[in-house]
Amino acid sequence: MITRLTPLALSVVTIGAWGLVLAVLSGRAELAVAVLPLLLGLVRIGRTRAARDWALGRVVSSARIFEGERVAVTVTVSAGEPVALLELFEPLPPSLRLVSGHNRGLFTLGRGQQVEWRYEVECVRRGRVGLGTVHARSWNRAGLEAAETSVRVPAELRVYPRPLPLRRLPSPRRMQAFVGNYVAPSVGEGLEPGDIRAFVPGDRIRHVNWRASLRFRTLFVTRYHQERNADIVLMLDSLNEAGTPPATTLDASIRAAAALATSYLARKDRVGLIEYCGPFRWVRPSSGRTHHERLFEALLRADVMFSYVTQEVALVPRRILPPQALVIAISPLLDPRFEKALVDLAARGFDLVVLSPSPIPLVRRAMRPSVRADLACRLWALERRARADALHRLGITIVDWDPDQPLEAALGGLIPSRRRVAAR
Amino acid sequence: MRRFASVLAVVLVSYPLLIAPSPAVVALGAAALIVCILGILVATHVLVAGVVLALAEYTLALWIGGGPPRLAGGVVLGVVLLLLVETADFGRRAHGAVLGPGVVLAQLRAWALFGSLAGGVAVLASVVASVASGAVRLPWAPAVAAAGAAVALVGVALALSAVRVPPRP
Repeated sequence: MITRLTPLALSVVTIGAWGLVLAVLSGRAELAVAVLPLLLGLVRIGRTRAARDWALGRVVSSARIFEGERVAVTVTVSAGEPVALLELFEPLPPSLRLVSGHNRGLFTLGRGQQVEWRYEVECVRRGRVGLGTVHARSWNRAGLEAAETSVRVPAELRVYPRPLPLRRLPSPRRMQAFVGNYVAPSVGEGLEPGDIRAFVPGDRIRHVNWRASLRFRTLFVTRYHQERNADIVLMLDSLNEAGTPPATTLDASIRAAAALATSYLARKDRVGLIEYCGPFRWVRPSSGRTHHERLFEALLRADVMFSYVTQEVALVPRRILPPQALVIAISPLLDPRFEKALVDLAARGFDLVVLSPSPIPLVRRAMRPSVRADLACRLWALERRARADALHRLGITIVDWDPDQPLEAALGGLIPSRRRVAAR
Repeated sequence: MRRFASVLAVVLVSYPLLIAPSPAVVALGAAALIVCILGILVATHVLVAGVVLALAEYTLALWIGGGPPRLAGGVVLGVVLLLLVETADFGRRAHGAVLGPGVVLAQLRAWALFGSLAGGVAVLASVVASVASGAVRLPWAPAVAAAGAAVALVGVALALSAVRVPPRP
């Protein structure tokens, strides 16, 4: 611990000097007597313990949480020797916001005494948040001297993106071979009736269509549409972001990706993730609870990383980007490299939907309102629209999403149009 | 704690008014009180400025009032000054912080103990000085006192400004 004098000590000396000067100038002994107790206080300097006789421990109520949730942090201070006054300060990273209690505390500890200090924080942004260093200052009772140190008490919070509520999702046009929730065009075992055909030996009696059989005086059986799952690949653009944390386009994209992944996995689909940050980072499509956690871990890491590297979509293996998959690209369309990748995907015949969180409201929120800003935003909106039209002409469906609005409302406009295309 | 410090500031600026309630003392006292309250709320440096004004007010009151030395009043004022400076500083440190069990009580106990001790020493010193001044008459006493005070203060300031860095545990 480093011991140093506080500004109070020099203030005391200043006041003492002033009092003595006045005493000499005025020739009044009362002034010297008045500053005497103050100057006597200086004899307490040099009694602060330089050695650290106390220990710190920290417990967080939950190490894995979602954005917007609260965590209670409990710091335990235990002393081996008496501590006159111990000030502890725990700086909070920007992604945590104090909601109750204080992240600074003053404690007096007796020998062997243990004190608990508790405060609550709200996690405002996804990511791995480290609660690492506690700064400690051991004061003497007068506040004239302090010994300082920093104590590492590592604790990590994993703040996962908050999935937005979604009930309706864009349906994939092509199915896979595994059982799922979509009614496939192929017939076989299922619930939805497909067509009827003449009975052949080996057909199950319970599939006999008695109404048709009585009408045509020969046995007919009903065939059913198979229920299949689909492959969904979420393609996340982390080349660029706009806005200020925790409301950047990347944050909005990640929340949307989390929501889509959660909803599709609930439908027994296989979901994969490709993060395009120049080079590709991916998670192979799969299903199940473990895979849900794997996807969320990948989303936790997703961040803008500057890179001159631009990889081609053709380099992504088939097992990561299956040809039958529905690709949902989530991008604010700020970087032409991502647009090129989209065009490439569309040209390869992928079932492609682009969900584009608009950067304009996010940037506008961070700016001071002005006529010039309004004009710039309008021009930007026009430019984005022209770019979206250009992509639309290439057969790419683009859904413009204002992150202040519910994601479901943005996707709602897409679902009927995809149904019409599927019907054709 | 800030309220307690404010009460002490009021006591500090009010005592000179009992000695000489002249308009100049009242004006200086009002200015000292405002700066002291500001110092309690904002920073120790501002409080020091307030205390400097309060001591100037006390000097003015003594000068206007004249008469024999009021050493008991000086001791009381000294203890109030000590408590004001320390409580204001503690109040600033404790502001916006969680206070553990027994912190305020231990602090009050420490202030009470040291306040009475320092007051006692000041009374003793003033008694000794009174007796000594009656028995011994030094020539150029004010000059000797000034030189002694200056040397003592320079020594204290030098001692305080040297930051001591003890070996790490």
